[in-house]
Amino acid sequence: MLTITVNGQKRQVSSPEGTPLLYVLRNELDVNSPQFGCGMAQCGSCSILLDGKEVRSCITPAVMASGKEITTIEGLPDRWAKQKHLSPAQAANTLHPVQEAWIEQQTPLCGICQSGMMIKATELLESNPNPSVEQIKDVFTNSAPSPHLCRCGSYIAIIDAVRFASTLMAKGGAQ
Amino acid sequence: MIEVIEALSDVTAPLPIAETNTNIYGAQLTRRGFLKTGGTLVVGFSLVRSGVANAEAPADTPIRAFDAALVGSWIEIRPDNTVSFRTGKSDFGQGTVYTAYRQIVAEELDISFESITTVFTADTDTTPEGGGTFDLLGRGTPNIRKAAAYARQALMQLASEKLGVPKEQLTVENGVVSVTVENGIVPNAGKSIKYGDLVKGQNLKLTIPVVGELTSIFGLNVTGNPPMKPVSSYKVVGKSFKNSIIPTKVTGKELWVTNVKLPGMLHARVIHPATLGSTLISAGKVDKQKYPNAQVVVKGNLVAVVSPSEWEAIEVASQVAEQTKWSEWKSLPPQAKLYDHLRNESDWKSATVSKGRKNIGDTAAALQSAAKTLTATYAMPYLKHAPIGPTMALADYRPDGTVTVHGHTQNAQALRGQIAMMLGTTVDKVVIKTYPGAGHYGRSNGGNAGAEDEAVILSKELGKPVRVQWMRNDDMQWSTQSPAAYADVKIGLDANNRISSYQIEHYMPAGQDDRLIGAVLAGLPTMPAPSEKGGILNNTANGPSDPWMYDAVPNLTELCYGTYQVGQKASPLAIGLRDHTMRTPGQFQQNYPREIAINDAAALAESDPIQFRLDHAKDQRMMNTLRRLREEHGWESRPSPSPKAAASGSAPIRGQGVSVMLRSNTYWACACQIAVTPDTGAIKVERMTIVSDPGIVINPEQLKRQVEGGAVMGVSIALHEEVAFNESGVTSENWYSYPILTMNEIPDIKVVLIHNPEAGIYGQGSEAPNALASPAIAAAIFDATGKHVRKLPFRPEYVKQMLKI
Ligand code: FES
Ligand code: FES
Repeated sequence: MLTITVNGQKRQVSSPEGTPLLYVLRNELDVNSPQFGCGMAQCGSCSILLDGKEVRSCITPAVMASGKEITTIEGLPDRWAKQKHLSPAQAANTLHPVQEAWIEQQTPLCGICQSGMMIKATELLESNPNPSVEQIKDVFTNSAPSPHLCRCGSYIAIIDAVRFASTLMAKGGAQ
Repeated sequence: MIEVIEALSDVTAPLPIAETNTNIYGAQLTRRGFLKTGGTLVVGFSLVRSGVANAEAPADTPIRAFDAALVGSWIEIRPDNTVSFRTGKSDFGQGTVYTAYRQIVAEELDISFESITTVFTADTDTTPEGGGTFDLLGRGTPNIRKAAAYARQALMQLASEKLGVPKEQLTVENGVVSVTVENGIVPNAGKSIKYGDLVKGQNLKLTIPVVGELTSIFGLNVTGNPPMKPVSSYKVVGKSFKNSIIPTKVTGKELWVTNVKLPGMLHARVIHPATLGSTLISAGKVDKQKYPNAQVVVKGNLVAVVSPSEWEAIEVASQVAEQTKWSEWKSLPPQAKLYDHLRNESDWKSATVSKGRKNIGDTAAALQSAAKTLTATYAMPYLKHAPIGPTMALADYRPDGTVTVHGHTQNAQALRGQIAMMLGTTVDKVVIKTYPGAGHYGRSNGGNAGAEDEAVILSKELGKPVRVQWMRNDDMQWSTQSPAAYADVKIGLDANNRISSYQIEHYMPAGQDDRLIGAVLAGLPTMPAPSEKGGILNNTANGPSDPWMYDAVPNLTELCYGTYQVGQKASPLAIGLRDHTMRTPGQFQQNYPREIAINDAAALAESDPIQFRLDHAKDQRMMNTLRRLREEHGWESRPSPSPKAAASGSAPIRGQGVSVMLRSNTYWACACQIAVTPDTGAIKVERMTIVSDPGIVINPEQLKRQVEGGAVMGVSIALHEEVAFNESGVTSENWYSYPILTMNEIPDIKVVLIHNPEAGIYGQGSEAPNALASPAIAAAIFDATGKHVRKLPFRPEYVKQMLKI
């Protein structure tokens, strides 16, 4: 049995340790936002935050997350609420600025890649609160292990949303 | 007329008061007494068995029997003033059903966008209509618009009776009908009533006329001519309402098709044959010691591994695949010989040759007397739809012979028909549920996206719900693709450097193969492979798909040749490189050569390519779109190549290029600026401007996002995309062997929407930018270098090679 913290909750995992996190999250823990895209670390649709760092859940064995903390987009509002020390009442009605921005900019087309895109955006904004367009392009293209791919061509909308999220975060969130 | 709609479930039994019928512009408003509670105006449909539909639809099809009980209605207006509507179309990221459709319904009914609280889409048991998810705006009058227009007239009828004035003296705002006081005194002037109050306590049903075949690719069409709201009084259409499905998608609350689970469900991975022509010799076995719960299922040439654990199914499938033996097959042409094969070894004679709709004059004679001529061939490779999420479906086959498929299809009713055919049953036994999933750009508009039938076969074999998820390589190697094509062009210019003769011959293998691949492998019934005898969905004929835009050309010949799919006849399973429509199907394959050829002709004429187009066009909307493009892009008006053009050196050289398209009543023009580095052949698309005149712009923000997305996919196609294959099958198996555009390769994209209400129609075809990029980029490469590139994709090796010529 492994213990993994997922979106702020400690969870016991009974899947074999070598099972990639993608299947553990989706099939055992019912955390369904990471999507299967390639299963080989080539696209980013399965991305999650592992202790704040974006990893590809399709190739990351469950054991690697033992004792660590996973965030998926289901957990982004809580993550933001904690970072901003929001009261439970405030937190209940809050989305993460990345989510607000993704809605405001109408970013998803089909949306299947967007969970991974938002995870990457969150990782970026936590280390660089005001990234330039060039920095955004660089991070979504050149970070290991592969570029984040969107077949619907939402890259422009993603850049717009990351920029918008950055301004929201600077203001302390949408209000 | 056959009545299909029954009373809604929440409607209690009517009191025994006689039924009355009122004719409303060809629709029937039926009143059956009063209800104790509730009340709803239900707009349903009845099939008018007439015309073409009649020939194909016997009066008593089992479809009707099933639908009568379960398919609800198009529009429902409730006592609390809320409204819901139902459409057979699904959402693939266009957002149309959640934005444009809501706006159209709100507009025709004069209600607020927000009062439409429920939108039912695509499930075969809860929506009418059918038909593929294309032509969403119905060439200006989508079904849902007419249904709303009929509903409005029925409401006006009710209001006029209630308020005691003729309909002409009523106006509606926000769902409130009021009596106007125009010409002097009117009885009841100033009185008003809400839609909700008109239907409250009533048992109302409005039956509207519909023609068509529910499970055909085109589905049903609402007919008749109810009065529709004049464009000049639009209030809701034209505004940027947000897409209501986005919040669930960005918060992890969406029920994606991939997230649907059923109790006792098994996960399956299919082991597809080693080649496109292999048959099974022997299937591998599961190591039962290690994997007691996994199992191999074999049916004909369909081999799968199932397990209650998804990861186990994946692991075991890869082991079983290693041991599974298939016959050898090597009958595809080698990729390097594709175009030779198409030109010299394909049968272009058996299929009907189609002519362009605007063919005119004598091109051969005009070419003879031309002052200058141009002869060229343009070629396009196979392309993958390449959804980010590979196809997936969950099927639940029951002992009573019914089956429910949970999937993500662009044409649920057609899939239903196909699954019924495969099972040898009637469509009333099949339900297709459609959920959000990965966009796949036309691949399933004839019904299946790939995994659905395999899931059904396995569920039936095992007596349990089975979830089939294709792996990345299955989706790349076993799905359909957009067909390769080539075109031969001959152009003659007269002494004034105007086109006197234009001749183009388009060659493309059958572009739509909707056979169920699992059925083919398992030896179960499915539609026949494409042939010259096939119907609309499986014919080898190639038709004219790209409307001719240069009406001042005096002599024009466009010919379209079709043939079998490559490898189809040589494969024991009749599976070759299976093709399917993608985004701008057929039109891309025809527009690309035409638009580069026009650029090539402009160069020959030493004319500016935009001016050259204007000089040969007559259609004012096209010409306005081009003129607007010239301004918005900052186009340099001059002939190509550029005075700075160079075909060698290590410094990037800039070039500009243009292309146009008319698609589904929308006019498109695209200009791009690129930089090419001759020594490496590398192309950077720096900037792109797309101008669109769709007539009435329904939702500017949504349209802009669609256009950007299409443009990005277009640049991807131009720079990267080509399906690799060898003599046995497709060798593009993942994102490394089938690369697509990444974020740092995107150009700056400027989208200009021309709102043109005088056109009086909603244009559509926001996928057009997908096709516009390639010819514009080719022209820009010529502008920068003076060298022609005519074969997609423009990868560095190819560009370098062409620059040396
Ligand atoms: S599914 Fe994990 S990177 Fe593609
Ligand atoms: S939005 Fe469809 S793949 Fe990215």
